Amino acid sequence: MSTISVPSTKTEKLVGKRVRRKEDPRLLTGTATYVEDLKLPDLHHAAIVRSPHGAARINRIDTSAAKALPGVVAVFTGADVRDIGGVPCGVTLPGLKVPKHHVLAQNRVYYVGHAVAVVVATDRYIARDAADLIEVDYDPTPAVTDPEKAMAESSPVVHPDFGSNIAFVYEQAGGDVDTAFAEADVVVKQRITSQRLIPTALETRGVVAQWHKGERHITLWSSTQIPHLMRSLVAGMLGIAENDLRVITPEVGGGFGSKLNVYAEEALIAWVAMNIGKPVKWIESRRENYMCTIHGRGHVDYYELAAKRDGTITGMRVKLIQDLGAYHQLLTPLIPVLSVLMLPGLYRFRNVKAELVGVFTNAVPTDAYRGAGRPEATHAIERIVDMLAAELKMDPLELRLKNFIKNEEFPFSTATGLLYDSGNYSAPVFKAAEIVGYKKLREEQKAARAEGRLMGIGVSTYGEVCAMGPSAAMPAGGWESATVRVEPSGKVTVLTGTSPHGQGEETTFAQIVADELGVSLDDVRIVHGDTAVVQYGIGTFGSRNTAVGGAALYEALQEVKAKLTRFGAMMLQTDDVLYENGCCHSPSNGKQVTLQQISGQAYLATKLPPQTEPGISVTKFWEPPNFTFPFGAHICVTEVDRDTGHIDIKRYVCVDDCGKLINPLLVAGQVHGGVAQGLGQALWEQAVYDDSGQLITGELTDYAVPKATMMPWIESEHTETPSPVNPLGVKGVGEAGTIGCSPAMVNSVVDALSPLGVKHIDMPLTSEKIWKLIHAGVN
Amino acid sequence: MTVEGSHTIAVPPERAYQLLLDPKILAQCMPGCDELVTTAPGEYQMKMKVTLASLAGLFSGKVRISDENPPDSYRMVVDGTGKIGFVRGEGLIQLSLAGTGTLITYKGQAQVGGTIAAVGSRLVDTTSRMMIRKFFDRLADLAAKT
Repeated sequence: MSTISVPSTKTEKLVGKRVRRKEDPRLLTGTATYVEDLKLPDLHHAAIVRSPHGAARINRIDTSAAKALPGVVAVFTGADVRDIGGVPCGVTLPGLKVPKHHVLAQNRVYYVGHAVAVVVATDRYIARDAADLIEVDYDPTPAVTDPEKAMAESSPVVHPDFGSNIAFVYEQAGGDVDTAFAEADVVVKQRITSQRLIPTALETRGVVAQWHKGERHITLWSSTQIPHLMRSLVAGMLGIAENDLRVITPEVGGGFGSKLNVYAEEALIAWVAMNIGKPVKWIESRRENYMCTIHGRGHVDYYELAAKRDGTITGMRVKLIQDLGAYHQLLTPLIPVLSVLMLPGLYRFRNVKAELVGVFTNAVPTDAYRGAGRPEATHAIERIVDMLAAELKMDPLELRLKNFIKNEEFPFSTATGLLYDSGNYSAPVFKAAEIVGYKKLREEQKAARAEGRLMGIGVSTYGEVCAMGPSAAMPAGGWESATVRVEPSGKVTVLTGTSPHGQGEETTFAQIVADELGVSLDDVRIVHGDTAVVQYGIGTFGSRNTAVGGAALYEALQEVKAKLTRFGAMMLQTDDVLYENGCCHSPSNGKQVTLQQISGQAYLATKLPPQTEPGISVTKFWEPPNFTFPFGAHICVTEVDRDTGHIDIKRYVCVDDCGKLINPLLVAGQVHGGVAQGLGQALWEQAVYDDSGQLITGELTDYAVPKATMMPWIESEHTETPSPVNPLGVKGVGEAGTIGCSPAMVNSVVDALSPLGVKHIDMPLTSEKIWKLIHAGVN
Repeated sequence: MTVEGSHTIAVPPERAYQLLLDPKILAQCMPGCDELVTTAPGEYQMKMKVTLASLAGLFSGKVRISDENPPDSYRMVVDGTGKIGFVRGEGLIQLSLAGTGTLITYKGQAQVGGTIAAVGSRLVDTTSRMMIRKFFDRLADLAAKT
């Protein structure tokens, strides 16, 4: 053993720096491996026959022509798969009605896209052709797709056994709302909708299943956000032991919550592979993606806000109607409950009463989509607060500042039972106002109005509940896991229980490792998404990767450093050692050993420190004590064209407080993406079902996902209030842009049109809708 | 979706009525019609190729005629399914004397589903109007020849 005195060169800290993503070279050169890229010997291909009806009875299915097509290996219908367990709903609520969700329809179909049969063939095209040869004799029945109509006594009932479409009613109240309203000087009321959206991940879903007959073991590749939960749930559906199933999640091209789920196809394709003894691949087409992968939002809400004449908000009364679709997917009923939790926003009022009704409709289920319940609530809160400002003729910024929870009031218990641990809500408001030049803009607006121009300034100040979350508040654990392994060569391997789908955590996590262990980014490999390799984890959603997964990693790294220090002390023959910058060094004798030397010794193990095991590998499961509560302010300046109804976004300023920034470049990416999806909802996107249950926005030709050319220049800044709940001080930023954006956008356009008497507009703000508002009364 | 409109052809109502219910004539006039056979009085089985923008597919279906009131009116029910979806519709066709010719007016409700609805809903209206116009243009041609 030798000691060297060459100082380590790794002194530069990477946390907080704009580090380019380690993932990008493989993504940009097309060398990443997605589910669709998998090639296995004798791989077979599945195609799924789906219902063209919103509601129908199935009289008969004739598969003979499909089975006769050369290359077709098998066709299965509902009767064949009746014994596979139902698609799981992971939520329990009092009185929740949960329809049995078979992987293939039994004698009824409940929505357009409902899977009816699966064909397996030697070739993908043969499978598709054979699917077209299957004749299903349907007896269409009346459908209902509007959640409010579905609540009516006279409505067709989606699941006739339940007698009505009401799946659950959830009520929550805090304080004394009735008194608040009785004593209010002003009450504003508005019906506010948050339309159904289609998540549109760049990569559609896909599943490959391989049955290893000899080992009686199955490997399932799936484009998912939750490989471990999927393993537990799919094993349960198939009735096999959890450790007989391995789930591998290769590269995932986006999810936005739509892959935070277990779908019928995962169990179905696994079952088919076991049944025919061949590996089977199913890749979702874009049309399938639009009609049978979950949608987001789908709210019709009634908000009432009570206030004093001076602008003090005193209470809020809300009725939320959630369009659930025909079934519960994994978290369907939970999403609007998150809306209820969010209701007080950043405001101090303590009187809240909410009634939430979950309603079945003949449509694909809704579930988590970027923000999941929180954009719906934030949009409505920030709209109704703006309406109050208009009613009181107060500046909307001033009204907000007046009602914010003050810095000295933290920790603050909200009326909906959350404990906001920290915050400085006025800081991002002041910063955003300064960047945009708020006061000057209001002057410009006056001048513009005098000229007859329709200029608007919209503000939203949002709060978030994220870094999901303490396990007690979660349906399936809220902790996260990390293993840090220093290899004999000194390279570092991290196994994380999270499973990213575009977040760039191979970079952020490597930055954390690099700083803690003093190694270079290239020395760190982050491994995720393979249940046979990685210890159990919860997954990636709810802005939790860094705040929970990163915290687990940080804690594991501290134990690794402690062990490295014990080895260092032994090797340097002194207790006076410090681990710093990739070395153990002794201030007293000036000697040091490098990480490589220590790790080599740890695995050679010719000599070990007292009570110390060989090797360096630490696994930590970290439980967060609370959610994190990011916040921020978005300001959007618009001008509306009177002749065309076109909305021109002049400025978009956002100041987000997501705690400490690990990598500002990636944070900017998340903010930009979030704002893009927020603008998508505010201006263009909507999933539309007609009254018979047809999804008439079934393709990208009819569903307006924002394009790069439609985006404004985003001026993104931050304030940094570290979260006290995790050692990194981070809060999460994946959803912030989406949550903050839509109310700022809509408030801006309503402000622009306010001289015409416009008080509220439901999203999306299409040019047609705006033109009609401008020209209402002209004819 | 409401389907309605009117066309004039240059033969008197009695002749127009005959033409409209003659499977051979119908097969010639219906755009994309591959086959149309009478299966029972007032019932036809048909196969028809439909093209809607980038979608194309063979439909097979039934046409049923009811409430026959020659030469003034009849009712028609169409039920077709194919790879790209389904079409169902029901309508009233009325004939009246217009000069020496016949004014044919139709009004009904149609429903489309499946891929046609998902992908082509914005085009269904214009495409169906175009197909109806083609049908009547051909019918008028044939009427003029016979």
